[in-house]
Amino acid sequence: MSSRFEFLGSTALGQYIPSESWFHQRDPRARLLSFLFIFIGLIFTPKIWGLIFGFISILLIYLLARVPLKPALKGIRRALPFILILALLQLIFTQRAEQQTVLWIIFGWQITETALATAVILILRFIVLITHINAIVMCLSTAQITAALFHLLKPLEFFRFPVNDLTMIAQITLRYLPLVAQMAEKTAKAQAARGGDWEQKGFNPIRQAKRVLPLIIPLIVNSLKRAEIMAMAMESRGFNAAEQRSSYYQLKMNGRDWGLLTISSSVSTLLLFWGWLF
Amino acid sequence: MTALIQVDDLHYRPSSLPQGTPDILRGISLEVQQGSFTVIIGENGSGKTTLINHLNGLLLPTQGHVLVAGLDTLMPENRNKLREMTGMVFQNPADQIVASTVEEDIAFGLENLNLPTQIIRTRVEEQIRQVGLIGEQNRPPHLLSGGQIQKLALAGVLARQPRIILFDEPTSMLDAHTRESFLKRICQLHNQGTTIVYITHHMEEALLADQVLVMHQGKIALQGSPADIFVEGNRLREIGLEMPAALILSTGFHALGWDIKPGLNTIDVILSALPAYHAASSAPAEIRRPESRTVEDALIRIKAVEYIYLSDSPLAKQALNGVDLEVESGAIHALAGANGSGKSTLLQHLNGILRPSAGEVHVGPYLLEDSDTRLRDVIQMVGLVFQTPESQFFEIYVGDEIAYGPKQFEMEALRERVMTAMRMVGLDFDAYKDRRLETLSGGEKRKVALASTLILDQDILLFDEPTAGMDPQAREELLQLFRTLSQQGKTIVIASHRLEELALIAQDLTIMYAGKDLETGPIHQVFCHMDALKNSGLIAPLSVRIGQRLGQLGWPITSKDALTPHQLLEKLQELTR
Repeated sequence: MSSRFEFLGSTALGQYIPSESWFHQRDPRARLLSFLFIFIGLIFTPKIWGLIFGFISILLIYLLARVPLKPALKGIRRALPFILILALLQLIFTQRAEQQTVLWIIFGWQITETALATAVILILRFIVLITHINAIVMCLSTAQITAALFHLLKPLEFFRFPVNDLTMIAQITLRYLPLVAQMAEKTAKAQAARGGDWEQKGFNPIRQAKRVLPLIIPLIVNSLKRAEIMAMAMESRGFNAAEQRSSYYQLKMNGRDWGLLTISSSVSTLLLFWGWLF
Repeated sequence: MTALIQVDDLHYRPSSLPQGTPDILRGISLEVQQGSFTVIIGENGSGKTTLINHLNGLLLPTQGHVLVAGLDTLMPENRNKLREMTGMVFQNPADQIVASTVEEDIAFGLENLNLPTQIIRTRVEEQIRQVGLIGEQNRPPHLLSGGQIQKLALAGVLARQPRIILFDEPTSMLDAHTRESFLKRICQLHNQGTTIVYITHHMEEALLADQVLVMHQGKIALQGSPADIFVEGNRLREIGLEMPAALILSTGFHALGWDIKPGLNTIDVILSALPAYHAASSAPAEIRRPESRTVEDALIRIKAVEYIYLSDSPLAKQALNGVDLEVESGAIHALAGANGSGKSTLLQHLNGILRPSAGEVHVGPYLLEDSDTRLRDVIQMVGLVFQTPESQFFEIYVGDEIAYGPKQFEMEALRERVMTAMRMVGLDFDAYKDRRLETLSGGEKRKVALASTLILDQDILLFDEPTAGMDPQAREELLQLFRTLSQQGKTIVIASHRLEELALIAQDLTIMYAGKDLETGPIHQVFCHMDALKNSGLIAPLSVRIGQRLGQLGWPITSKDALTPHQLLEKLQELTR
């Protein structure tokens, strides 16, 4: 039986799988940008075949990175009820035009071919996106994300853009999320140990919401307190003392990294212009 | 030669402090020499942390001056140099970890020095090797053990190669073993010439210093070498501090006429000064192994319990690995073990907050492995005070926080209950019930946390590291409270790594190691198993160790007679009379 107090388990962070696979060896910038390109492609690709092509490219990443597909399936299963509700709404409320083929009429609602197609695309798009996001968290550690961000944004320093502060914010946020989950866990346990109602029996959204409410304020207060101490700790470790800051990571793109970028951007372009091309 | 750190008539008063309350620091003057080791002791709230936050310019004096290597902390242009020169290890080391992996966190301070990547890499590798975090480079900090976090915090500071390192109670969360190696490391740094300023509640740690400062109510009450300070026994007791066990025993042995000088001695000196027993007819005390026993009247019975934290995820970790435990009704039962040995996880199984992945947990009439057992029913029988419970407050006012439990169970006579609970922990009902929680001192907060559990008047009470971070006087009060509760017939389970304290109150002791129970028995019997203790990262109290040596030397003394220094001295007086 897994505990109802393991909030940490429900955050997507920390799912990174260190590996020596071909994909993991690529420069973090190349990986981050590839994911970004494909992500954009998946969101905007208009046709069902585009999605399927996108899905195949993601599966290729899973193969190259040698990461398991199981977590993605789990994520899809968890999200499925919500996706189906959305698809149903899509089915019912898609606007009807004159020349559309009506497939069925249920309780007076006309279900058109277009509506069905959009609903199917919606379901598929969500499934593909969840698979994609799972690939990201397994293939990029938080440290690699911040390092990649830092180096990608570096040129903007020329325009006095506060790259250092921005990547620091990203880094601290990523460090903070698991801490907040742990804090929520502690407070929930403290309440439960004194008779607070934390037992989960069946599906009761109102009761669930009522349970979460008393957590929110202590969570905010404690987060602020911690932030204050962390700010002091950062200062004592010399943050903001020097004009310039260097970086632990020295990134270098090689031919393979550029290759990965070329392929991913081509895939993305293909996805974006699918409707126009085919 | 002028001192490295010079503090001159330092006063500090934050602007948020309400009118009428005294300043936090009231006229402190002191000098710290280059390469010295200064220890600061004093009760909770005496201003120790505030003082060291002035030494690297995190706080600035309201009046007076702080000079570090001749640089006045009040001058903004000195700030960068000050930060470069000083490093600081915080009270809760997890607070100072910034990055999301171990190696990146060590690198953080170096990036701030704007060092080239190559040098950062070399220094990070060097630190990882030196503090012993090899293999953990890529772990996220929130999944490290307490000891590892402490190592990481120190590594992050050392990588910057500061001249001065400030420590704020760095060992309060560490078990004996980890603490010993941590202290060794600090002594090593001191020998290499680093200047060290170190806050602690453990008087034994103060013995390592060149200079001891005793703080009391924002002032320096005593100052001098450890030998000078601990001569002032009465004065120390007056301000709520205790004497180190080694000192009590040395003084006592000297009074018995043994060949040992009064005052401070190292443990080795004491052990080698013990005389053989000369009375005619006494067989050497036999060290008995605890025989396996069955508790007749077990209120808590645990069998082969296993628990996997974050199961079904890449981070899954086996926290309990087949624990058996029986706790007698009405007993005070101690769980001892190193950081990460599974004590807290086990405690949380006893009130149903966690349910076992495998095995049986019987608490009173409840079977907790059965998911149909309602948590709220169990809670009415079992209370749990978490580690640092004051970090889990969720109300605004003292009264509401304490009343939370009874409100959940819709109990009658709420006001009377709150009053009784507050009286038990020594908080005045009228003076405190409407105070805001954040205005309380650390000690007062701990009392509120205790009251908010005691108010439910459960038969079984569980405490997780209840004395961590408390000064000696507060600790003594708490132990007294445990005795009172025990007299009222409550069954108490305490998890702690401080065996000296457990020796004062517990009847039974279970040693936990790597998620398993290693040994269980009456506390004085378990103390005989030095190897088991040592292997599980614990160290028997000094008096027990000396008692055992005396036993080997022919004295009719068992560890039962030596649970505390005073007990041992009394027994010896009796024998030598």
